[in-house]
Amino acid sequence: MTDLSSPQEEVDKHASALVAPLNIQKSPKRSRSKERSHTRQSSSRGAPSIRSQSLSQSQPSPPLTPRTSRDSLPEQQPVQPVFHNYLRAFYHFHPSSTVSSSTDESSITVPINQGDVILVHSVHPNGWADGTLLASGARGWLPTNYCEAYDHPTIRNLLNALTHLWDLVRDGENGDLLVFTKQDYVRGMIAGVRYFLERTQCLTRDSPLVASHVGLRRMRKGLLGDLSALVKTAKKLQEILQANKSAVPVFEQLDELVLKSFKLVTRAVRFLDIWAQDSVALTNELGETSINRPPTPPSDSVDLPVQPQTTSNPNEDDSVATNDNTSIVAQPTAVGTYEELDSATSQPPRNLNRLSVAFSIPSESDSLQSPLLPPQPQGQAKRLSVTHRLSYTGKLQGGRKQNLASERLNAAHDAFLGFIGSFIGLHLQSRSSEELTTFTQQAVLACRQLLAVIEEVWERDSRRSDQLEQARDTMYVRLTDLVQATKDMFSTSDAALGEEVVMPDSGKQLVSAATSCVRSAGDCVAKARFVIERTGDFEFESVGLGLSDTIFEQISRPTQEEVEPTEPAKQVEPTLETDKPLPAPPTTARQPPPPLVISESKPLPQVPLPSPVENQRVSLQPTQSAIVESPTAVSFRSSRSSLPPLNQLPTPHLPQPSPSDYSQSPASATQRFFGKAARADSVNASVADTSSTYRYSIIRGDTCSVISQASTRATTPDHSPAKKQSSQTLESSFGSSSELRSMASEDVAAVEEHLLEKTYAHELIYNKEGQISGGSLPALVEQLTTHEATPDAMFVTAFYLTFRLFTTPVELAQCLIERFDYIGDSQSVGVPVRLRVYNVFKGWLESHWLGQSDSSALGIILTFATGKLRAALPAAGKRLAELTAKVTEVRAGALVPRLVSSLGKTGVSNTHFSPTDSNVPNPIIAKSQMNALKASKDGKAQCSILDFDPLELARQFTIIESRLFCSIQPEELLASEWTKKKTNKAINVRAMSTLSTDLANLVADTILHLEDAKKRAIVIKQWVKISVKCLELHNYDSLMAIICSLNSSMVLRLKRTWELVSAKTKARLEELKTITDVGRNYAVLRQRLQNHVAPCIPFVGIYLTDLTFVDVGNGTTRQLPGETGRESVSVINFDKHMKTAKIIGQLQSFQVPYRLAAIPEMQEWMESQIQRVRSSDQSNVQSYYRRSLLLEPREPPASVRASPSDADMASQHLSAESRTNSKDRFEFLNFSFSSTNTVKDR
Amino acid sequence: MSQREYHIVVLGSGGVGKSCLTAQFVQNVWIESYDPTIEDSYRKHIDVDGRHVILEILDTAGTEQFTAMRELYMKTGQGFLLVFSITSMTSLYELAELREQIRRIKEDDNVPLVLVGNKSDLEEDRAVPRPRAFKISQDWGNVPYYETSARRRANVDEVFTDLCRQIMLKDQRAYPPNGPPRGIRGEGRVPRRERRRRHRRPVCTIL
Repeated sequence: MTDLSSPQEEVDKHASALVAPLNIQKSPKRSRSKERSHTRQSSSRGAPSIRSQSLSQSQPSPPLTPRTSRDSLPEQQPVQPVFHNYLRAFYHFHPSSTVSSSTDESSITVPINQGDVILVHSVHPNGWADGTLLASGARGWLPTNYCEAYDHPTIRNLLNALTHLWDLVRDGENGDLLVFTKQDYVRGMIAGVRYFLERTQCLTRDSPLVASHVGLRRMRKGLLGDLSALVKTAKKLQEILQANKSAVPVFEQLDELVLKSFKLVTRAVRFLDIWAQDSVALTNELGETSINRPPTPPSDSVDLPVQPQTTSNPNEDDSVATNDNTSIVAQPTAVGTYEELDSATSQPPRNLNRLSVAFSIPSESDSLQSPLLPPQPQGQAKRLSVTHRLSYTGKLQGGRKQNLASERLNAAHDAFLGFIGSFIGLHLQSRSSEELTTFTQQAVLACRQLLAVIEEVWERDSRRSDQLEQARDTMYVRLTDLVQATKDMFSTSDAALGEEVVMPDSGKQLVSAATSCVRSAGDCVAKARFVIERTGDFEFESVGLGLSDTIFEQISRPTQEEVEPTEPAKQVEPTLETDKPLPAPPTTARQPPPPLVISESKPLPQVPLPSPVENQRVSLQPTQSAIVESPTAVSFRSSRSSLPPLNQLPTPHLPQPSPSDYSQSPASATQRFFGKAARADSVNASVADTSSTYRYSIIRGDTCSVISQASTRATTPDHSPAKKQSSQTLESSFGSSSELRSMASEDVAAVEEHLLEKTYAHELIYNKEGQISGGSLPALVEQLTTHEATPDAMFVTAFYLTFRLFTTPVELAQCLIERFDYIGDSQSVGVPVRLRVYNVFKGWLESHWLGQSDSSALGIILTFATGKLRAALPAAGKRLAELTAKVTEVRAGALVPRLVSSLGKTGVSNTHFSPTDSNVPNPIIAKSQMNALKASKDGKAQCSILDFDPLELARQFTIIESRLFCSIQPEELLASEWTKKKTNKAINVRAMSTLSTDLANLVADTILHLEDAKKRAIVIKQWVKISVKCLELHNYDSLMAIICSLNSSMVLRLKRTWELVSAKTKARLEELKTITDVGRNYAVLRQRLQNHVAPCIPFVGIYLTDLTFVDVGNGTTRQLPGETGRESVSVINFDKHMKTAKIIGQLQSFQVPYRLAAIPEMQEWMESQIQRVRSSDQSNVQSYYRRSLLLEPREPPASVRASPSDADMASQHLSAESRTNSKDRFEFLNFSFSSTNTVKDR
Repeated sequence: MSQREYHIVVLGSGGVGKSCLTAQFVQNVWIESYDPTIEDSYRKHIDVDGRHVILEILDTAGTEQFTAMRELYMKTGQGFLLVFSITSMTSLYELAELREQIRRIKEDDNVPLVLVGNKSDLEEDRAVPRPRAFKISQDWGNVPYYETSARRRANVDEVFTDLCRQIMLKDQRAYPPNGPPRGIRGEGRVPRRERRRRHRRPVCTIL
């Protein structure tokens, strides 16, 4: 079983790898670039060439690599296929010095070990990548040809979550910590782990695989432990942030967070390794014929193009092929090398055949962007600069980022929009053709810049996205149209008038041309973005990474020559190698690094070729044992077995390779690297030191875990004979490590339950503020019933308020019950969630139940309450059943008065009072006034508004109005309910508007029924006083009504009357007018209502208009940001409903009764007056206007319309009116305006 | 030339889709989330006949029942869009009263107006025959008549542009520019010609 190649053989093989020749295929690229340069000459000819020049200056230089055999160095293909966020090392790489320096800058290379997973930040064209090792958290340069892409559907979600987390943390370090105050971001990791375990069929403890495989069981436990630690860290971070402590602990926690996530992912990777190796064997052992092989990796690889050396064992071959393919694709720079190795020469295949299955499981065959491209097209790709990972969050800081393609794209697009905007705006305004020309030129220039960026992106993309090309070509056409339109404009103006006048028609044409230009630009940018996301972000021009321009020039020249068709390919490398100045890393080292010893060469180290497996392959039978016998297992196990004490160490330190290791190891090639492990210690230290300048030092502050991390890493290097229990031993290395032991077992259990949750978290969309802006119903329901935190009050209220707009009560009930079902009944997760589900039902029934619409769901709820809920939570089930019964009884509305909604109500709830409060002001009313009111009620006398104090009048009217306002139900404000004529759900809103109108009419009536201008002036003065008091009482609704009326044409035109109104009153009125100004979208009024303290009666009309426009201006659904290449999904546009709820919440926050004492007699009188005005059929604007005309007829010069006939008509009307009015007055004094609910729509 | 700001008021009974019309006009195509509560929600820069103008649109949507407020709204407006739904005859009749009120408040028979029949996409539910509406628009003093579909964004911009053009014309007549450059007069002619053309245009083009 353990027939592996001898150390000597290993070395030989390795050496042979060094001299592997490489063919560089230059011609296809050359022809392609030439061909491209000839097309589209008309529109953007100049741009690309300039760009390529400037581009080439942008290369940060990775460090020099120690090398011995320079001439044998395989040349690198300048290809740039797909950018991978994660790489996995399949060789060790231990440079003799991690720091190289030429000038003040220095570069750090990180030593990598076989099996290390690296998060890649950027890839330099020469193949060096700036990456962070997950195992240690160390960051630095590493050779990509030692690695291969690590991307597999099983673990992809987890890796994406990690990338996202990393980006968030980076933003967090820049001060954007908002997102960390919630724990939503951890959910991605949790979901990733869940998905991972699901795919590996290890989700539950009882799954056959977990049950039968000790190693997997332990790994799984460890994984859950890590997850629990991560969640804990996130919680701690949240606490620290909430406590508002200084930045230091926050950053420490951020480091911790990243560290924990790295650890988690590292463990997941190991898990996958073991799983890939052993699940096959296991399934065989278990006699499960259904699964012959690990479900994912090999089956994927079957679809791949098979590489030449197909031989005996199908399993083996598949994995080899897989390996090769992946590496080809993943390693742009190494492609040539492997190609040679695998096909052209008789090189032994790498020893990683089985290992590589676990290592570099190829990505899904269905995703076409992934690696599997023939080398040819890749060779055509232009690769000129560093490639970066496209950040998700995109909040970039620092000048370095400005050159990123994504940033450029944004900037160019913005600039273009800006220019085209001013172009559209100004070309018509300024008629001089000269100016117009300038603007056109600017716009076209901006457009070209944008196109240049897009061109660049397109060129970098090895696969030459057709879509992008199409979009770009469309844009060229549009731009041409635009230019043509401008030209046309000049010619017509020249021809027709000989003047510099722009004709409106051609202007219109121009605008439409410009508009379509904008559209196609938007399309173009979107497509380009897509490409960048796939291929990785890259930098455009110089700067960045702290390199001087001269260095750039030196470096860039040769690189650019690569593009030059005339330049022989061979010349490229030498130029590079003779390059004197040493490249710099992204940061500077704290301590002056030791001077770099090695040569002038900068290329990648050549790939070592340790292939002990070759012999193994030959000797082994193609049986399951061969499969189990994977090198990974070997390497992992060996360190374990060779270092038994480590298991017992509470805090393991970085293991030094012991001689016994070497003796056991069959691979001497690895020894060479491993020999440097001792050195790696110091290397690590220095890297950690440097990386703290990123404010990202993992090592800082947590020595213990760093060491355990290091030990994890150290287990990978060496090889030793494989045994069956290999992975189990490996497992024990994880399981026995100190941190796992320290972890409380219940934590693991808790996380395990957490993991088992089915989740729809991926169907939620968050906006920039971290609020949920969209999601599917199950996802929203899930958010409503999270177990770890009380759901956001705003969210809950918005949901209750608006759910009927996007779902039905029945659907909601079913969805909640489903949630109840799928969460299970575990103590830590299931029970809290189920309680929340119950609470959602309870809250719904108690305070948000709408008999009419919701009763359809009652049956479902009752069945649930008496069935599932009672079985799980008897008390809750009973209570819910009771509630359903109550709801049936009280069909009319909610059980609990819903005057006070939780929304925005926190601060004002204490303002409720009983009328006996001492603070209530005494009514200003004299006994005589009281008597007059009583008399008027009995019809014995008449009262006038002049009889009473304006403040008291304002108070009493405010009380009446407040009563109505406070009874407005939120449901009345949804879906433009109040505008619907047939339904009368919005009783109170309509009553409000009616009251408002009535008040305005009352004002007009009181003024216009007086014959004497002097008296009218006095009444006007009284109303102004009342409105001032209304303002003092914050009764804006009444204020609006009164001012409206005083301002209306029928009152305003009474010139004689106004002459008698004092200047003081007029000035006051002017002030009030500015407050009630409707201009600029009620800017003044809105300003006043902002953060207004209740009680207050705002002008309801504003809210009604806002609600209407939120409704029509926002779509009902929005698209889930599609994962690359997938169909996007429509989900509920919850943002719209949040907006609605927010507006309603604002209104509700004012729904607080006033601390005023009511005078029933006065209110009765007022209501009777209102009723009188309302009931008279003259209460329409036209009749008032006629009356106004009659009182003060139009002065002939002022108007042509004031014909005698008009006046006659008016007088006739008036006589009739005055009769009825006087009659009305007496009749309606007895009428009492009893209840607000009786107010009907007219 | 300085930027002019014109106030347009959109009127019509509830449910005719006037808010939709306004939202469609004001909203940029690329805006994802529309917030009507901010000051600029109803402002739009447009170009009409070579002039850059700012339109501030006052849409009373949702407050139709606050009849007393109407005057307040109308006072601010220089031009009015009278919107009805082609699926409702009543909504057209209700406009007559509004028009009267506008004329009264403005004390002017030639207030810039545009009659708009919205929901032209609901042709199968049409209750207002096109000649009928057109007749009314002519009776009102050759007021331009358009049929729009806010949902399909048909004729939306045209309606506002036409109204704006009317306001500008009126503006020019009221305050004739001193020492008008030659171009201005020429420009003045064009819209008028256009306007006449437009009167018939909806009838034949809306289909």
